[in-house]
Amino acid sequence: MSTSYTITLDINRYDPDTKLSWVQTYRVEASAILRFVDVLRKINDEQDPTLAWSSSCEHAQCGSCGVIVNGKPLLACELLVKDAVGQFKTHTFKLKPLTIAPVLRDLVVDLEKAYDRVHKVRPWLIKPASPHPDGDEYRISPKTLETYSEATRCINCFCCATACISTHHHFLGPNASMANMVRLMDPREMARKERMDILYREDGVYRCHTAKACSFVCPKDIDVSHFLALGKEGRF
Amino acid sequence: MGAALTVDSTLRCDVLIIGAGGAGLRATAQIAERRPGTRIMALTKVFSPQKSHTTTAQGGMAAVDPKDPMDRPIFHTFDTWKGSDCSADQNVIKKVCDIGWEEVVWLERHGMHFSRTEEGRIAKRPFGGHMLDFGERMAFRACYEADRTGKGIMDTVWAESLKYGVDFIGQCVATELLFRDGQCTGAIIFRYPEGKFLAILAKATIIATGGNTRMYLVSSNCRGNTGDGLVLALQAGLPVMDLEAVQFHPTGMVGPGILASEALRGEGAILRNKDEEPFMERYAPTAKDLAPRDLISRAIIQEIREGRGLFHEDHNAHHVWLDLRHLPTEVHEKKIQEVCSFFKRFVGVDPEKDLCPVAPTAHYQMGGIPTNEFGEVQSDSQGIVPGLFACGEVAAASLHGLNRLGTNSLLELITMGRVTGERVVEYLKDATDPEEPPGSRPIVFDQFSTYLNAQGKEQYAQVRDSLRNLMMQKVGIFRTEKSLVEAIEALAELRERATHIPLGTTSLSANQDLWQIWELNNLITVSMVIAQGALARKESRGAHFREDYPERSDAFNYHTVVYMPQFNEVTFGKRPIDMSIFEARGEHYELFDYIEREY
Repeated sequence: MSTSYTITLDINRYDPDTKLSWVQTYRVEASAILRFVDVLRKINDEQDPTLAWSSSCEHAQCGSCGVIVNGKPLLACELLVKDAVGQFKTHTFKLKPLTIAPVLRDLVVDLEKAYDRVHKVRPWLIKPASPHPDGDEYRISPKTLETYSEATRCINCFCCATACISTHHHFLGPNASMANMVRLMDPREMARKERMDILYREDGVYRCHTAKACSFVCPKDIDVSHFLALGKEGRF
Repeated sequence: MGAALTVDSTLRCDVLIIGAGGAGLRATAQIAERRPGTRIMALTKVFSPQKSHTTTAQGGMAAVDPKDPMDRPIFHTFDTWKGSDCSADQNVIKKVCDIGWEEVVWLERHGMHFSRTEEGRIAKRPFGGHMLDFGERMAFRACYEADRTGKGIMDTVWAESLKYGVDFIGQCVATELLFRDGQCTGAIIFRYPEGKFLAILAKATIIATGGNTRMYLVSSNCRGNTGDGLVLALQAGLPVMDLEAVQFHPTGMVGPGILASEALRGEGAILRNKDEEPFMERYAPTAKDLAPRDLISRAIIQEIREGRGLFHEDHNAHHVWLDLRHLPTEVHEKKIQEVCSFFKRFVGVDPEKDLCPVAPTAHYQMGGIPTNEFGEVQSDSQGIVPGLFACGEVAAASLHGLNRLGTNSLLELITMGRVTGERVVEYLKDATDPEEPPGSRPIVFDQFSTYLNAQGKEQYAQVRDSLRNLMMQKVGIFRTEKSLVEAIEALAELRERATHIPLGTTSLSANQDLWQIWELNNLITVSMVIAQGALARKESRGAHFREDYPERSDAFNYHTVVYMPQFNEVTFGKRPIDMSIFEARGEHYELFDYIEREY
């Protein structure tokens, strides 16, 4: 059997029926290789079935399990107990819900509402380029694709938006802004003016202070601030 | 105790999409493009359609490019027939293989970021069971977006649906279908955040809820893949088909079973046993590591049974190795970037330097709600249910029969999504707004009352884990009459135990406990159909392997149809396998007979 740790989790709780919030402490004997989603499940299974949290794919491809651990927004499915102990140099972890949307219960945040900001940048091709004369796919060189393909890996977990030092009330946020950048860099998008309008709107890219918190926390290791910087420079 | 259960309000639309994944939203986009102004409501269990399970598909989408000098749709059609172990429907295979490329181009023109060749065209890679010249050598047929093809597809159909102003309702499930005079008129849904029931009346309803392998201990499926759509059909007295055919993907990462794409082997990765022998050469001399998934999964278990596997102490699980060390750094960094990062993060190995521990993981449901080749749900071998459609993994048209080739599922989502959307557009021409639903009390109220008032000493986690261990051990890759009979008895017990789990809270709002118990009941229901179907099919075909009947038998040249309106009250039916290519007696027709399956 693998090593295990005794860890303490201080979790922010919220009950929508009574509107009460409190911090609840759980002590868990956790195997080193458990993910934090497994630890939360273990709490449900062995101590408290009422603790609510969210997840879906549980391997960092859907972005449903974002949570703040000791101040850092991250995906609970990606954080192994041994790595958490190593990274934060402690056995005590404070878990809080993401700050990007209203809390539904405990660690569950209404990401459906947070998505409104991604919808605002209209992530589809607004005006697609004319089809290739041969009638099949548009030609894109691997070199061109490479300039923006990293940005297409974003899963909208909103960890970057939570970490962002610009308030989300005035800023669309790093992930939504990056989704607009993808289409600005995509040679198939002909709606340049509409795209620029989105980029430079009141809550657009100039709300970014280039603190690079987004790149620092991105669970997919995307250099989000690089794409925002390209937007500010008008290099696309 | 919580408030009395009521239907809070009634909403109306033209088309209700239950499940906003790849198939549901491809159908949505088709309807919106072809019939502007259609009022469409799309339900998703997750926060946003973008978070659907489709987004986790990795390797690619098979389609024959008409400009390819070597590949032809008939090779793809043949591979799919052979891969299914002669149990898919030839009319459906032909249709899907013939329009596959059109759909790749549709996705590309709507903004999907396919990987490219140096000439700027869509890049292609080999995949298991996809071959040229009727099985002679491997084909480059899988169009891909690095190792996140499903995400590329999901992002595209989601954005297209947004563009057309589709109404998405997130964090909800459909709990039962509504009918009037045999016609489907919508569904009752339950919203998680507020804990409210709504009735949605629709002229047409499409079930596209995806897969359901969460009843297995090791599964690549997301947390919400609990067979909800199949249960919608079953409790309405409608049949399901071929559920005994559960695909185990050969390479799940040891432990939870996170998918390690077949694309890794498409790029040249090799399976090895504890002696580092590339053992697939013994099981499939021609296709080797790119043989179909059912063969490789059985080969891995065989290696482990005969003492040539390994044991992972941390995860307490047996495994073999997947060797990616010889692949160029460029491939690791660009073509299989996501999977390599999963191995590093979840298993702690670096695929460039270390061997990667893998074992089969429950991955895909080949069977589903039987439909015809247009996505119309069948009530029996003759009739269809007016107003009800199904596509994607929850449906069985059937493209896959009892075994699916890799990359054919994304192909199916997109092609059958479009075909079904097209059929709905036709159907809407004469459809009228449904009247109010019948006033009878929804079945789900009784179910929820049972869960909310449950008394006893049972615990959710124990029942869930018992189910997952049971299905893995007795209804897994290898099955026998004894194991299946035992499983059926045990499932009946689990069903009973599941009614004695007291809830931690009886609030209806955001009650995770209540939601999970509803899902658990769905899983037990679907597990029962899988076990019953597996017991009845006394042969081995595709992913269904009976150790007591290890050969394929012509006596079972049909689809298993199962009705189970009440738990464990099972009636069987049969649907013939469509042999229209063989019967047309065209070129190469003899290859579309019940042929031997060797790789």
